[in-house]
Amino acid sequence: MADGNGLPAGAASGGIDASGQTVIRAAADSSTNTTTTANAGAGAAGVASGSTSSGNGSGNQGYHQLSVTIEEASLRNNGFLKPNPYVELLIDSKSKRKTDLVKNSYLPKWNEEFTVLITPNSTLHFKVLDHSSFRKDAMLGERIIHLAHILQHYNGRCEFLELTIDLFVTSKSQDNRQTKSGELVAILNGLKLDMSKVQIQPQQQNGNAIQAVNPVISDAAAAGRSCMISGGVRARMRLRSNSNREGEMPAATNRSPVPNGTVDARRSGAAPIWEQQQQQPSLRMVNGSGTATASYPQQQPPLPAPIQANHNGRPPLTQMYANGVGQTADNVTPAAVYMPTVMTAGVGGGGVAMGMGEAQPGGAVLPVSQTSDPQLQPQPADDEPLPAGWEIRLDQYGRRYYVDHNTRSTYWEKPTPLPPGWEIRKDGRGRVYYVDHNTRKTTWQRPNSERLMHFQHWQGQRAHVVAQGNQRFLYSQQQQQPTAVTAQVTQDDEDALGALPDGWEKKVQSDNRVYFVNHKNRTTQWEDPRTQGQEVSLINEGPLPPGWEIRYTAAGERFFVDHNTRRTTFDDPRPGAPKGAKGVYGVPRAYERSFRWKLSQFRYLCQSNALPSHIKITVTRQTLFEDSYHQIMRLPAYELRRRLYIIFRGEEGLDYGGVSREWFFLLSHEVLNPMYCLFEYANKNNYSLQINPASYVNPDHLQYFKFIGRFIAMALYHGRFIYSGFTMPFYKRMLNKKLTIKDIETIDPEFYNSLIWVKDNNIDECGLELWFSVDFEVLGQIIHHELKENGEKERVTEENKEEYITLMTEWRMTRGIEQQTKTFLEGFNEVVPLEWLKYFDERELELILCGMQDVDVEDWQRNTIYRHYNRNSKQVVWFWQFVRETDNEKRARLLQFVTGTCRVPVGGFAELMGSNGPQRFCIEKVGKETWLPRSHTCFNRLDLPPYKSYDQLVEKLTFAIEETEGFCQE
Amino acid sequence: MTAPRRLRKELSDLQDSTIKSFRDIKADDDNLLRWTGLIVPDNPPYNKGAFRIEINFPAEYPFKPPKINFKTKIYHPNIDEKGQVCLPIISTENWKPATRTDQVVQALIALINDPEPEHPLRAELAEEFLKDKKKFMKNAEDYTRKHCEKRPAD
Repeated sequence: MADGNGLPAGAASGGIDASGQTVIRAAADSSTNTTTTANAGAGAAGVASGSTSSGNGSGNQGYHQLSVTIEEASLRNNGFLKPNPYVELLIDSKSKRKTDLVKNSYLPKWNEEFTVLITPNSTLHFKVLDHSSFRKDAMLGERIIHLAHILQHYNGRCEFLELTIDLFVTSKSQDNRQTKSGELVAILNGLKLDMSKVQIQPQQQNGNAIQAVNPVISDAAAAGRSCMISGGVRARMRLRSNSNREGEMPAATNRSPVPNGTVDARRSGAAPIWEQQQQQPSLRMVNGSGTATASYPQQQPPLPAPIQANHNGRPPLTQMYANGVGQTADNVTPAAVYMPTVMTAGVGGGGVAMGMGEAQPGGAVLPVSQTSDPQLQPQPADDEPLPAGWEIRLDQYGRRYYVDHNTRSTYWEKPTPLPPGWEIRKDGRGRVYYVDHNTRKTTWQRPNSERLMHFQHWQGQRAHVVAQGNQRFLYSQQQQQPTAVTAQVTQDDEDALGALPDGWEKKVQSDNRVYFVNHKNRTTQWEDPRTQGQEVSLINEGPLPPGWEIRYTAAGERFFVDHNTRRTTFDDPRPGAPKGAKGVYGVPRAYERSFRWKLSQFRYLCQSNALPSHIKITVTRQTLFEDSYHQIMRLPAYELRRRLYIIFRGEEGLDYGGVSREWFFLLSHEVLNPMYCLFEYANKNNYSLQINPASYVNPDHLQYFKFIGRFIAMALYHGRFIYSGFTMPFYKRMLNKKLTIKDIETIDPEFYNSLIWVKDNNIDECGLELWFSVDFEVLGQIIHHELKENGEKERVTEENKEEYITLMTEWRMTRGIEQQTKTFLEGFNEVVPLEWLKYFDERELELILCGMQDVDVEDWQRNTIYRHYNRNSKQVVWFWQFVRETDNEKRARLLQFVTGTCRVPVGGFAELMGSNGPQRFCIEKVGKETWLPRSHTCFNRLDLPPYKSYDQLVEKLTFAIEETEGFCQE
Repeated sequence: MTAPRRLRKELSDLQDSTIKSFRDIKADDDNLLRWTGLIVPDNPPYNKGAFRIEINFPAEYPFKPPKINFKTKIYHPNIDEKGQVCLPIISTENWKPATRTDQVVQALIALINDPEPEHPLRAELAEEFLKDKKKFMKNAEDYTRKHCEKRPAD
């Protein structure tokens, strides 16, 4: 038995006969191992007592029980008839075990477990055969595994060790050449040996990991078919709960969609465990299977480094992992998402009780944490074991980082074990997801502390959701007057407006009154869709009185300045105009601006398009989301305008409004769960929601956006509130308003500051190297965008920077969320035509969607801070006087003007958040009395100029909060 | 792949420059957003060695600032055990798109040479630095010798 040099190829050529029959050798023929033969047997048997049953009479000869589960295989498609494969397992060429045969499949699954007796030097011979009723069964592929290799790599432990074995066939026609014919997945379990007492055959004695991993096919071929000992065998520790409870889980089903012929990425990802005992863990070649990996841990966020841009213009589906070079679009692995799918149904079944007990994979310890190699543990190891599938590595600087083989991502921080009640699983496509048994929900993303914090915040709201719901209000509907009757577009205006939008038709009632039909939504309205919500310039206006001037706000709305009295007003001062000048709706303009009036217009449209009868939506509280999703998406959208009849299963009662109010509130809270990854918080401490550009990791995200669009429209239509609102830019999108650079500030202050810097400084001299093309990153992938055609080649200069800023603003506000927004709006528009919203500005939209809340003025005042004012300053006293004297609507809008939302945190004003953490309401003295108040929603700050009188303060403040932009000055 | 031109230019400028205290500057072969370099401080106790740093640029550079990380362990009040460093020039409030990486590195070198115990990341080292400078110097020097990389010959 050759080979002091320890090369497996050499060992193979010398040592094993052509049929692959390795004989059990006497342990004594090792000359390098100092342990005595006597010890080996006894020691091994002794150590094995824990998880290995050694008491079957042969324990004294060094036999141990090993459980081998043949899970599945993926076989090369030969183009003929599909095979009927089964597996034969021979231990040391004896004790043949067979699985059942699977008919007609290249992807057979057996999931059969065999308990076999082995010695540390045993060979496992796996043969996959094709059963034939007429001929001799044909070999589809085979492989011999030397257990000693595995034991060495895993320090004597085989516990839920998943082996992915390349199968080879020997081609008779081509000089016995070996070709790979497929892969077999098997699980070894229940073996635990003390390696210091185990005698390994000399042929494997020095086989270090690198050599063992590299397949030496040519030598192997020379030695016959028996010796591809370790090349092409990949192993990984598998999570217990997976293989235990879900033995039927198709662990390798995601192999097939890999079109480029490389081995499935998950397998490749698993491979590096072989290498964890290498001395230079930062440079890795895995099996030469085309999956060269370079794992560079990055800074936070811990996204892997080998990033490539996706230039083919379609939304990136592939996630790039540290190891994931060979991945393809089909192989998307979820990284950042809660998965609001029906999967919960499975979780809710019998599995739950069991899952609870096993949720923490604490017991499944990676072997690396037990290694005695001091090189691998330059820092004292924490006692806490790594979760299953995790590994510690060192980069080239000796810094420790952590590899999660389950998701193929790297992190600097040591992974915290999954929180209690969580479990890791794989879906049918081999994608990892996480189950939270506490809430019976699933997510694509490993729960880390920040995500859990957000989630807990979200969950913490739950207790208040219903209570909050009862506190929200708008004006009662009884107060509405059918003012829309006056809203007519005169025939004269008609022609100038051009054709009606697609799907619209103009009709005339029996009393000659014109109305409009929207066939797409099956709605009718009096208003002409071409002018709805728009200002139509008034013709034939007379001259202004002396000393008056017309100006326009930043939003383009006209107002009048009286220089005689130094006042401003929206009311036209011309004779006959103040009351007479009607807006497009035929009512005085001042009244048109009133929220109350706009709301009544909207309600009128809703009522006049109501459909008879009702629809029933029956939901179970535990599966509120899924139940609601299916029922809402199943119905034709217009049906959702029928009266709603909501039933919570098991709580039968009549829905006279209270139940549906609760349903809207609960479901909105559920749907906007930031963990679903559909929406995200605008930034760290701004709990307004915006579409998450990474939502595509949820394969069905567009369906969900459509659903949410429908649902939000239903809330508006039925006059119900939702729990929490969207960002102002999102509302502006709903209103089809142009987004401005200022809108960026609310969602990305850092980006905004840089853009403003570009705007305010001469950029020609400072080497900015800006071009009309930009990059951004989603889930570790860089997405490139040309701001204009050939933008790549056009430099940004002082001359063209205005254009650049405009394009950048547009891009920043839409990047990565266009499709989602579009689908959301489609869903919305199916239920409520978007035109109906045109009365409102974005802040009013939030008011009707979220409702108002009684504001505790005492609490507000108590938690307000001042800069350059104090609590006794005249203006401050006036400010609070105004707040007390005004009505709830104004209060809510003032609050919204300053904080960006009309809602008060559950804990009151003390918990008001800014973009950098807790930020109390602040009033700062800024500017001159001629200025309008301004606000900085990021900092909850109101810039209040030192006005000279109470009346002046009220006027300016009222003007400011009614102005959409609110940043204009006189 | 369209690597940001700004970074390519900055990299080649830095590589051409003859800053003695920052050398061996490279970007990853497949990722221009990740650079490494060797800080070679002049002042004791750090002048006994050299320190490898990593600079990570966000995809949105220069609209967002880069982040700096020490790969070599260093005994310094302003650099924590993970190698993170708090550098005002790249903080959210101060960042300007015109700030160049060589300025950032200069600021970093200045901070290494002259620690700012008033804004510490490692309070215990800052305290030692202020209260027992001698001990600090000794500890830092020992630590440097133990962990640092070799200084380039010239």
